[in-house]
Amino acid sequence: MNAPSSLALAVPALSLKDIGKHFDGLEALRGISLDVAKGEIVALLGTSGCGKSTLLNIVSGLLPADRGELRIDGQPAASFRDWRRIAYMFQEDRLLPWRSIRANVAFGLEAERSRRAERIVKAEQALRLVELDGFARAWPHQLSGGMRSRVALARSLVVEPQILLMDEPFSKLDPQTRAQMHQELLRLQRFKNITVVFVTHDVEEAVVLADRVVVLEPRPGRIRAIKPLDLPRPRIPTDLAVSEQVRQLRMAL
Amino acid sequence: MTMETAKRIVSLLLQRGVLIAVFLLLWWYAAVQLPSFVLPGPERVFSALVGLVHSVTFLHDLGATMGRVFSGFVLATLIGTPLGLALGSSRALARFFEPILAVLNTVSSAIWAIFAIIWFGISDATTIFVVFMTAMPLILTNVWQGAQTVERQFIDLARSFRMSRWQVLVKISLPSILPYFFSGARLAFGFGWRVSLVAETLGASDGIGYRLRQAADLVQSDQVFAWTLLLVALMLLLEAGVLKPLERWLFRWKTPSR
Ligand SMILES: Nc1ncnc2c1ncn2[C@@H]1O[C@H](COP(=O)(O)OP(=O)(O)O)[C@@H](O)[C@H]1O
Ligand SMILES: [Mg+2]
Repeated sequence: MNAPSSLALAVPALSLKDIGKHFDGLEALRGISLDVAKGEIVALLGTSGCGKSTLLNIVSGLLPADRGELRIDGQPAASFRDWRRIAYMFQEDRLLPWRSIRANVAFGLEAERSRRAERIVKAEQALRLVELDGFARAWPHQLSGGMRSRVALARSLVVEPQILLMDEPFSKLDPQTRAQMHQELLRLQRFKNITVVFVTHDVEEAVVLADRVVVLEPRPGRIRAIKPLDLPRPRIPTDLAVSEQVRQLRMAL
Repeated sequence: MTMETAKRIVSLLLQRGVLIAVFLLLWWYAAVQLPSFVLPGPERVFSALVGLVHSVTFLHDLGATMGRVFSGFVLATLIGTPLGLALGSSRALARFFEPILAVLNTVSSAIWAIFAIIWFGISDATTIFVVFMTAMPLILTNVWQGAQTVERQFIDLARSFRMSRWQVLVKISLPSILPYFFSGARLAFGFGWRVSLVAETLGASDGIGYRLRQAADLVQSDQVFAWTLLLVALMLLLEAGVLKPLERWLFRWKTPSR
């Protein structure tokens, strides 16, 4: 069939095949196979210790897998050169205490040759996005945990990634700010067609954001189920269809 | 400034004033009891001090000593810092060189001074060498210690942005190590300054240490006391006027303690 821009035929942004990882005696991941299409949002859901962070570390290229194959845009990870298109927001905010908030956001831009003035402008734009433009000159220790994780989000977004990996990005936010950040992320994601893989403990967050939910189980970490969510957007948690989906997913866990 | 801090400053100034007055009084009383070559009185020392500052060689001597201390200190920094970084980055290297460091730390500065005289004779190099041998191990040890505390998580953050090894060094490692370097450098400078005088009494023909020995040989106790006062004042000035403000500025990002 001549489906317009068929997702099935396009090269996936991320392709994992039979990924496995051991730490000494511990088998952290086994047989992880997953394709993520360009522009897709995938949630990784699972109890703590089931290897979610390890999986993101592997996909980000920071940690080598013991076995299996990782492809980015169809290219094997070993020969992939364009890693700067992937941004990784860690589970911890990892703000550098000796840098101001603005300099923390600009940090990722310094990897490539660029003008200082330009970096400052971009960093301030990113701070506006997470509604912290009033704190550009503050030090990290002056901010609350929720504010710090928004700074970390700004730092990931400022490099304009095509693939965004996020490890429990909104866990430290209060419900209202979290909903606001969800909408901001979705707006940006649609606008730039960013591929997003994020980890969460929060089933409702997964249902509101994700196109697909990957449910992991521990010891060894492996995929238990993959649930596509074809609910219309925007998804409001109080909508019947959304809350029904949340209920079903909770049951499955 | 709040009322509270103003009160605190006034009370501090008062305390210091009383301390100085008590000190001068005791000094004056003791000086009356003792012969003046053992303990010259305050007024004699102050007039010696004025004479000293106006003497022809004063600036030259001060400059000579400072130049030697700075040269030794800068050399110690230039060599101690990369060595500390190297030891911090490799456990095997550190284990191999650790005994040498232990030896360096136990050898007294006076012994370095003797060696320096044998090797360099009466020259600038003698004092510079002694300052260097005293300061370098201190800087090395502190940088090494700091290098071991660099957070793995921050390095991974830089790696996630695909920064080069050089960028990781400059943007993550060096800022993490800076507080350790600073306290090491401060210690090294203090020790270097003190041992430079010892070295100069043995192996120099100018500089403060040389003048001190000269005064001692001629039993000019008032001169010795005048130099001592001057040195103390200089050190206090350096501490309050340069080091403290520099430290406050460099580490302004730190959580205020208390
Ligand atoms: N660097 C490491 N060395 C040893 N064990 C590790 C390391 N990183 C993670 N693990 C172990 O692997 C398992 C999965 O960890 P992680 O990926 O952090 O889980 P999650 O993010 O799902 O909570 C845990 O049992 C953890 O203790
Ligand atoms: Mg985790």
